[in-house]
Amino acid sequence: MMKRAIAFILTGVLFFALAVPMGALAQKKVTFTLWTKEGEVTGGVLEDIVELSKEFAKSRPGLTIEVVSYGVEELRQNFQAAAFAGQGPDLLWTVSDHAGPFVAMKIIKPVDNIFGKDFLKEFVRPGLECVELDGKTWGVPISVGNHLMLLYNKNLLKTPPKNTDEMIKVGKELTRDLNKDGVPDQYGLVYNLNEPFFFAPWLGGFGGWPLDGTKPTLNTPAMVNALQFVHDLKFVHKIVPVECDYDAADALFKEGKAAMLINGDWSLTSYQTPEVRKKVDLGVARIPMVSQTGLWPTPMTSGIYFMLPDYLTGEKLQIAKEFVEFISSDKVQLRFLEKHMRLPATASALKNPKIASDPLLKGSADQMVVGKPMPTVPEMRAAWDAIRPNQEAVMAGKMSPKNAAKAMQDACEKLIREMTK
Amino acid sequence: MIPLTWEIASRGLTEAGRILVMLAVGVAVIEALAYLILHKWLKLKNALPFMLMLPAFIAVVALVIYPFLFNLQLAFSNMSMYRFKEFSVGLSYGIQNFLDVFRAPVLQNVTFAQLLLRTVVWTAVNVFFHVLGGLFLAILLNRPLRGKAIYRTLLTIPWAIPQVIAALAWKNEFHYQYGFINVLLQKLGFAPVQWLSDPKWAFVAVIIVNIWLGIPFMMVIILGGLQSISPDYYDAAQIDGASGFQQFRAITMPLLKPVLTPAIILGVVWTFNNFNVIYLITKGGPMEGTDILVTSLYKAVFEFYRYGFGAAYSTVILIILLIFTWIYLKVTKGMGEVADA
Repeated sequence: MMKRAIAFILTGVLFFALAVPMGALAQKKVTFTLWTKEGEVTGGVLEDIVELSKEFAKSRPGLTIEVVSYGVEELRQNFQAAAFAGQGPDLLWTVSDHAGPFVAMKIIKPVDNIFGKDFLKEFVRPGLECVELDGKTWGVPISVGNHLMLLYNKNLLKTPPKNTDEMIKVGKELTRDLNKDGVPDQYGLVYNLNEPFFFAPWLGGFGGWPLDGTKPTLNTPAMVNALQFVHDLKFVHKIVPVECDYDAADALFKEGKAAMLINGDWSLTSYQTPEVRKKVDLGVARIPMVSQTGLWPTPMTSGIYFMLPDYLTGEKLQIAKEFVEFISSDKVQLRFLEKHMRLPATASALKNPKIASDPLLKGSADQMVVGKPMPTVPEMRAAWDAIRPNQEAVMAGKMSPKNAAKAMQDACEKLIREMTK
Repeated sequence: MIPLTWEIASRGLTEAGRILVMLAVGVAVIEALAYLILHKWLKLKNALPFMLMLPAFIAVVALVIYPFLFNLQLAFSNMSMYRFKEFSVGLSYGIQNFLDVFRAPVLQNVTFAQLLLRTVVWTAVNVFFHVLGGLFLAILLNRPLRGKAIYRTLLTIPWAIPQVIAALAWKNEFHYQYGFINVLLQKLGFAPVQWLSDPKWAFVAVIIVNIWLGIPFMMVIILGGLQSISPDYYDAAQIDGASGFQQFRAITMPLLKPVLTPAIILGVVWTFNNFNVIYLITKGGPMEGTDILVTSLYKAVFEFYRYGFGAAYSTVILIILLIFTWIYLKVTKGMGEVADA
């Protein structure tokens, strides 16, 4: 009796299981998975991607595009794990710095042959440069920029400073202790003080850069001077808060308690909401020229890119190609410009008169021109991690810029040795 | 934010349904094969118990044993960013990886010995205060008290909040100028502390947060233990004229031991491997001052792509925890009493 019952249940389950996939086959459905780094913090972009993917899927019956959102680091790690197993998303919507490790791991495809020269020619050079490695192109730009710039509150500061001497001068005037408790409650300048990405423009402004090809160039007079400069902003001129991370800088600026802020193009729309406008009349300019050297600070430019997994073939590859072409069309590029203030990646969309007529976009584009592409090579990861603790030490007054520069160089060389072992 | 529509919900449910069906099919196939082999072919008497255990056994192999063996394989490999898919495995790589754990700084400056010492301090301080705080609150809650249920709910809140949110909220409270803690210190007449830029204070800060997070768990466990102690013992002790402290030492503590021992082992293992709090508040910084073993392991693997080294490193951490658990069980004989009870 029991045997019969078991046999009956097993047969039932097997039938049921076989019926499900057969039903699916009959309809010939394709699910295409897109992983994107856009999410909650990039206000509204994710929703727009979902909408666009639905619009795109309409042209192909049976196609469903699944949009999965991850944080930038999560996306990198999850894709590495998925690609190691040889399966995962069909398309990536991510930042240029992922190209370096992905190429080294051989988990993405070059796009030159898939899209052809004529298609890639449509994109601006700085956009493509960010993802060129070993003579091949490893991504298709969605939006270029991602650069830092000087944002200022016109309620506190009418015109932006031209050079760093002027910036320090107005910074001192605008750092005020309004309630007389001995601690300033309004600052001349705020930015993410301990983050290497926010230090990079100053390093460039003093004539330095973290890497020369794949070789670290951290122990240089330019690095020492740049570290001394950011150190003095805090300890000598006292125009920045004692502790200031990204969120603190953002909050101070939004509350009208900071005259100048260094932040990226991704943040522009968040200072335009009705709530923030009550306290902030936003202006955008270049980060002021370094008086000591006469050079413009060089924020790192990069961008957002499509990357194609190494294992993508056949129909999915074709869908990926068409979807990328769809997003690269002027119509979609201008939609991102208008809705999210993101500078387009194609030359034709960049010529749009809206950019020249909008003072904020014009300021952003003006800053991008003096930016420098962020190195895509995997060695950049070692440079970031070598700079960080030593920059923190300088900003805590625990290390001299000279010693920090040397420590950075040693650490970076060691990290690269270990990474490439 | 994308609203939860019926379409999204139904897609999620379909996906979950499909996984369940696949699991059912898998189990059915396995059971059918096991039935044929064990019962029909080998004619085993105990075929049914084996068949019943088989799915769970396969799950353990797939989810625990296989990953563990794979990790060991990686520990003896040269897998890195440049050898991601085509890595080689060999004894010499393994020796090199294990030696690297001990002979060079794991990250930039901190060595394994320093990290181990810091992890031990981190674990000891945390678990000590978890138990002390948990015991104190549990004893209070175990007395007749008006509004006990409300206190109990309020006290378990730190445990109920997702760690990510709690840690990020705390991070803001440690801000030099605007954080609650420095505001409070200043009101009390102390100088503000640079919580997040000074490595020593940053370490204190992450410990404070983790103590706050960990007390409710211990409190709940200990409260359960206390409630299982029969009041007769205390009545008898009171008749004999034992003081409150004597009752605590001679009745409460010994009878709590079977509950406390596994809770402390769990607490130690969790705290030893607690990644969230440190990573979310300080990322191991400033100047690697708050890195413990697991955060440095994470950085070595996921930021520097040192997979072979990382696998060896994680094996070393596992061995340390195994040794600790073994010694602790020997010394306290705690689990024995659980088994005897």
